[in-house]
Amino acid sequence: MLRNINEMWRFRNLISALVGRHLNARYRGSVLGFVWSFLNPLCLIAVYALVFKYYIRFDQVQNYTLFLFAGLLPWIWFSTGILEATASISGGGSLITKAMFPAHILPTVSVLTNLANFLFAIPLLIAFMLYLGVMPTWNLLALPLVLANQGLFLLGLSLGLAALNVHFRDIQHILGNLITLWFFLCPILYPVTTIPANMRFSLIFNPVALYTNMYHDIFINGRHPDVLEFVFTLAVACVTFLLGNLVFNRYREEFAELV
Amino acid sequence: MSLALSNSETAPPGSIVLDRVSKRFRKRTLMRKNYTTVKGQLMELLFGKDEQESGMFTALDTISVKVKPGCSLGVIGRNGSGKSTFLKLISGIYRPDSGSVSVEGRISALIELGAGFHPEFSGRENVYLGGVMYGLSRKEIDDRFDAIVRYAELEDYIDDPVKTYSSGMYMRLGFSLAIHTDPDILLIDEVLAVGDAGFIHRCHDTISDFRRRGKTLVFVTHDLSSVERWCDEAIWLDKGVVCGRGEPRRVIDQYMQTISEAEEQELERVNQAASEDAPDAPQELAEEPAEQDSEEEPGDVRDPEREDGPGRWGNGDVEITDVRIRGASGEKKWLFGSEDSAVVEVDYCIKQPVSELVFGIGILRVDGVAVFGTNTSLEGVEVPLPDFSAAEGEFRGTYKFHIDRVGLLENTYYLDVAAHKSDHTPYDYHHRMYKFSVRCTKPYHGVFNPKHSWSFDCSYTAESKQVQAEGRC
Repeated sequence: MLRNINEMWRFRNLISALVGRHLNARYRGSVLGFVWSFLNPLCLIAVYALVFKYYIRFDQVQNYTLFLFAGLLPWIWFSTGILEATASISGGGSLITKAMFPAHILPTVSVLTNLANFLFAIPLLIAFMLYLGVMPTWNLLALPLVLANQGLFLLGLSLGLAALNVHFRDIQHILGNLITLWFFLCPILYPVTTIPANMRFSLIFNPVALYTNMYHDIFINGRHPDVLEFVFTLAVACVTFLLGNLVFNRYREEFAELV
Repeated sequence: MSLALSNSETAPPGSIVLDRVSKRFRKRTLMRKNYTTVKGQLMELLFGKDEQESGMFTALDTISVKVKPGCSLGVIGRNGSGKSTFLKLISGIYRPDSGSVSVEGRISALIELGAGFHPEFSGRENVYLGGVMYGLSRKEIDDRFDAIVRYAELEDYIDDPVKTYSSGMYMRLGFSLAIHTDPDILLIDEVLAVGDAGFIHRCHDTISDFRRRGKTLVFVTHDLSSVERWCDEAIWLDKGVVCGRGEPRRVIDQYMQTISEAEEQELERVNQAASEDAPDAPQELAEEPAEQDSEEEPGDVRDPEREDGPGRWGNGDVEITDVRIRGASGEKKWLFGSEDSAVVEVDYCIKQPVSELVFGIGILRVDGVAVFGTNTSLEGVEVPLPDFSAAEGEFRGTYKFHIDRVGLLENTYYLDVAAHKSDHTPYDYHHRMYKFSVRCTKPYHGVFNPKHSWSFDCSYTAESKQVQAEGRC
């Protein structure tokens, strides 16, 4: 694992170049180009807002659109990141089989590319808050900590799944479905408070739900994230990262043969 | 990229040591049996590695190779002999199943055209990404960028997406990048073959320079002449084991020898199949082709335009039962050197009393060029006939046609043999049924290699100094 971290540091130039290249490549050839990285989440938010706010007339939350905004951006980072990362090595082609390329760079790049997309959208979110008269608070300073926390969790998951997916290509398909379920299990469309109190403990099994809460706290509720929850998720993230690296190292030598 | 597996600090950069390295692969068929299954992997995780010998094949088998810094090693061998696996093990793309690989210094590897290039991006962006991948900083790439592009001759195309590049352009950019990253070890897998003559020339210079600076080169190719030119040492891999190693010329000769032997076996197989497939009785194809043949010169070397495929015809009064070609020491052979001697042995069987018998022999080049033809009556050789009044039945005999020196140039040839009357009415004619090949040491032009030598007798200067040189073939 130390070797992985060490190599990530050694190849930081490569990682940042690749992240740049991916951000660049994603919308290359399209007319609107980079604007799509804002338009995509905005469209999603618009649809959810339309359905839940106006059709279903869900009224448990003030500023429901903002609520969606704050919860969906990190979710898009998480879900797109994990799906891309999982397929990154098995789809790495000649980079894996024919070039001397450190394989764990690929899932890392997927995670970071989507993080960058998330970060680019944050000014948009803040602008929207200001437009609605919701003032950002100093709690925003906790955002990097939460990002690092969730990033660690996501990276560990990504490394493990990307490595496993080289052997069992089913994983990326299973994951596609699982992600949809996972989405509804996170308090993104609904606030935690709608969950009956006696069932709320179940969130403890879902770190992403806890992260979503933290983002809501930071952006909307003007609170700092619950320290206990933060420490708990950080511990989970560390264990996940460790396991992910173990799985990754277990399989990494076979990538070139199996891709 | 420098993925050097630095195990010891003592070895100088550029050294490569493979110690009893084996590499096996799981046979990847789409049949369910051998494919990785979730169940199989779970079992493996739970109960340890499950190595099913049947499902594995060995790409490299306990290979030990040491390459000293500054040495250039050529790797030759037939397709599938493990050459690329060998390179991938050195580069660290593959890990060995057993044994150890230790490599010191920075490696650049050109394993495949355009590997590591992103097709959507311009040459410029790819140079930067590739440079970073090889472990250079942005500043270092900036400094070298112009040199890289100039060397690759891509000044006009560097801002085009590389997906529009030709394979030659891919190769030039890849090679230029690899060579400009100051590797201690350069691994090249056959990619240079797509370069044009001019670029190959420059590659040659660059590689010479690279070697002069004491860098290590490992080079996989089928172009044996470049191994001879560029390499201090060659290894020859076959089916995953080292069959030969040492001075390139010697190893290449060994390799060629084996290839020739394999070819020879193949020819023998073809010839055997031909004599088995041939119609037993020649009557079936009787008269018609014989008439076509009637205006031919003695020796029956036939016009290839008229007669193409193998065939056999004649009335069968005399039958040719077997044809063998032997080398000088009497062994059956189908492959000869220009200087070799050969004996054609033909078994025949006289089935009906005949008043006259002429045996003919013809040699055709595989493209139909008539090379040589003769027969016994042309040369005034009397074919001994049995006394038909004394006994009845079949009379068997063998004749031998001795060739002191094959004298042909490298190619494949057909041997025609025939038994016929003096007016060319055939008893049994075997056309294009036997094949042999000739290997020649030099790439002469034409068909025939006469015994030859050069000499000079000239007086260029006032002192009329005589220059004499001689070379013999």
